[in-house]
Amino acid sequence: MTVDTLPYTTFYKAKKGIISWLFTLDHKRVALLYLYSIITFFLVGASLGILMRLELFHPGKDIVEPHTYNQIFTLHGVIMIFLFIIPSIPAVFGNFFLPLLLGTDDVAFPRLNLFSFWLYAIGALFALGTLVFGDGPADTGWTFYAPYSVRTGTNVTMSVVAAFVLGFSSILTGLNFIVTIHRLRTPGMGFNQMPLFAWSLYATSWIQLLATPVIGITLLMIVAERVFGVGLFDPSIGGDPVLYQHMFWIYSHPAVYIMALPAMGIVSEIIPTFAQRTIFGYKAIAYSSMAIAFIGYFVWGHHMFTSGMSGPAAYIFSILTFLVAIPTSIKVFNWIATLYKGSINIDTPLLFALAFIFNFLIGGLTGLVNGALAADIHLHDTYFVVGHLHYVMFGGTGFAFFGALHYWFPKIWGKMYNKKVANTAFATLLIGFNILYFPMIILGIMGMPRRYYDYLPEFTFWNQVSTVGSWITVSSLIVLIVNLFVAARKGKKAPDNPWGGITLEWQTKSPPPLENFDKMPKIPEGGPYNYPNAKSSN
Amino acid sequence: MSEKENIHISSYKEHLSTWLALILLTFMTVFVSVFGAELRTLSVATAMIIATVKATAVGYYFMHLKYEPKIYKIMMATVLGLFVFFMIMITLDYITR
Ligand code: HEM
Ligand SMILES: [Cu+2]
Repeated sequence: MTVDTLPYTTFYKAKKGIISWLFTLDHKRVALLYLYSIITFFLVGASLGILMRLELFHPGKDIVEPHTYNQIFTLHGVIMIFLFIIPSIPAVFGNFFLPLLLGTDDVAFPRLNLFSFWLYAIGALFALGTLVFGDGPADTGWTFYAPYSVRTGTNVTMSVVAAFVLGFSSILTGLNFIVTIHRLRTPGMGFNQMPLFAWSLYATSWIQLLATPVIGITLLMIVAERVFGVGLFDPSIGGDPVLYQHMFWIYSHPAVYIMALPAMGIVSEIIPTFAQRTIFGYKAIAYSSMAIAFIGYFVWGHHMFTSGMSGPAAYIFSILTFLVAIPTSIKVFNWIATLYKGSINIDTPLLFALAFIFNFLIGGLTGLVNGALAADIHLHDTYFVVGHLHYVMFGGTGFAFFGALHYWFPKIWGKMYNKKVANTAFATLLIGFNILYFPMIILGIMGMPRRYYDYLPEFTFWNQVSTVGSWITVSSLIVLIVNLFVAARKGKKAPDNPWGGITLEWQTKSPPPLENFDKMPKIPEGGPYNYPNAKSSN
Repeated sequence: MSEKENIHISSYKEHLSTWLALILLTFMTVFVSVFGAELRTLSVATAMIIATVKATAVGYYFMHLKYEPKIYKIMMATVLGLFVFFMIMITLDYITR
């Protein structure tokens, strides 16, 4: 592989100084601003997670008061959901790579893009502001269920405003991507020649655009009720708490696909590159993203089986929920089929992609258990749900996020990390992760409820296993991040295309110049994953 | 898409009649909510339907959906359809509880 040594100006060097970063209109710099903020909040959220696991090491009180524990899991949930996982892949890798994958020089609205980062920063300040203003962070859980969220003395208003502002940031990112995909594809690239990550972002963006306003309104209604006493959700002033849950989940179920779809897009990029083989079922994968996004709007009621919703509504939502499993499994089968007879190169990014499939399978199947009406009556609000949600969000999207980071690292920084350290961190992370969360699934089936700082003595063993898992998980995360950090500063120079990928981002230099491409990128003939020396044709 | 296709000028008459229709519909909403208050659910439903008609008119005439390719009309219809589904399922839950 030849390294192009002709001098050129990378986007890092194009302008200098902190102001040039904070007011940048370059999609790549906006992406990095997001990356650094998101990693920071991830570490804060993880520390709160560790704190909870320490409290749960023994039954009874270990280190925090019950009320503090309630605030910790709420802040942990709010940070992980609104500041980490929802923006994670779209705001970082979508911003950085969507224009590159489409062969263009920026997103459609660079100023809007910067604005959405600023909204993210303001929302984050509000979320953290609850630590110092009012009576401390909310203690409602990240779901802010009424009527408790209307009555509690903690600073729900500020937390809710944070989520509201962060929602706007998410809407603007979605809008930007939709217009970029419709308008800025390089000449000759139709929708069906787009890389699958672009497809998955397209589906995600429609959810961000259409579902997020619903939560905006809902959260404002909570504020109206707290501040002005308008009777909307609190039955004592004429409201209906079940209505709150409807409105909350009309957004928050589609939102789980804001988390999952981009992750599936990442896996669909990594697998063909490391199998050096055409993706199996391009159209099936592309359109199943759209199908997941669409069906995702019709199933929110599966979070409400025990809330007092009517029987007929519950049956309908249970049946609809099972439909989502179809497009999801279509993807899994296509990924596996792509690997079959490929010339597989087992490298760090592929390991993360495979771990995604493994973890997401456990997450998805436990999700079906929750979706089954009768089973959910037993499992609702137990640790089964906590196990399930971490398998999907952390084991799925979190692993895909780190996979993407290792996949595109050489493109972003032009350096290569130490692969031995990366692979070791990966292995211990996968093991630690499963030791941390699988016990939760068992505890849930045994009947341990979630959101308690205490438990009965018979749950002690599995709780201690889980806490030990949290130590392994966090140590691996630290090794993983430090390894990348060191590599970005003094890693070996990486070639422009270290993995032999053929999507357009690999045709430019690493790190890319300000305008992304010096010369028009060439679209691969016969589709975005048509590897020249692939063994089979399909 | 060439620049030429994007230039479409609608007549004053069309703008004016759309505007008048919107004003008329607004009066209808007020009328129903004042004089039909005892109809409760029905008056809310009427207000929602009138609002939907108004939004469609704005999109179609003022925002030039009229001139756009079919795919945008389909997108618009899908969004409306989703909203209708939300309302139907929540109402279904209420009346069968
Ligand atoms: C070091 C990693 C982590 C640890 C040790 C951890 C631990 C925990 C624990 C013990 C709970 C249950 C609290 C309770 O019900 O009493 C919890 C809840 C939760 N976690 Fe994590 N977690 C971690 C990472 C994550 C990640 C990466 C995400 C999302 C991307 C996440 C999202 C959530 C959410 C949404 C809840 C529910 C909060 C609520 O009940 O309102 N966590 N976590
Ligand atoms: Cu759901």
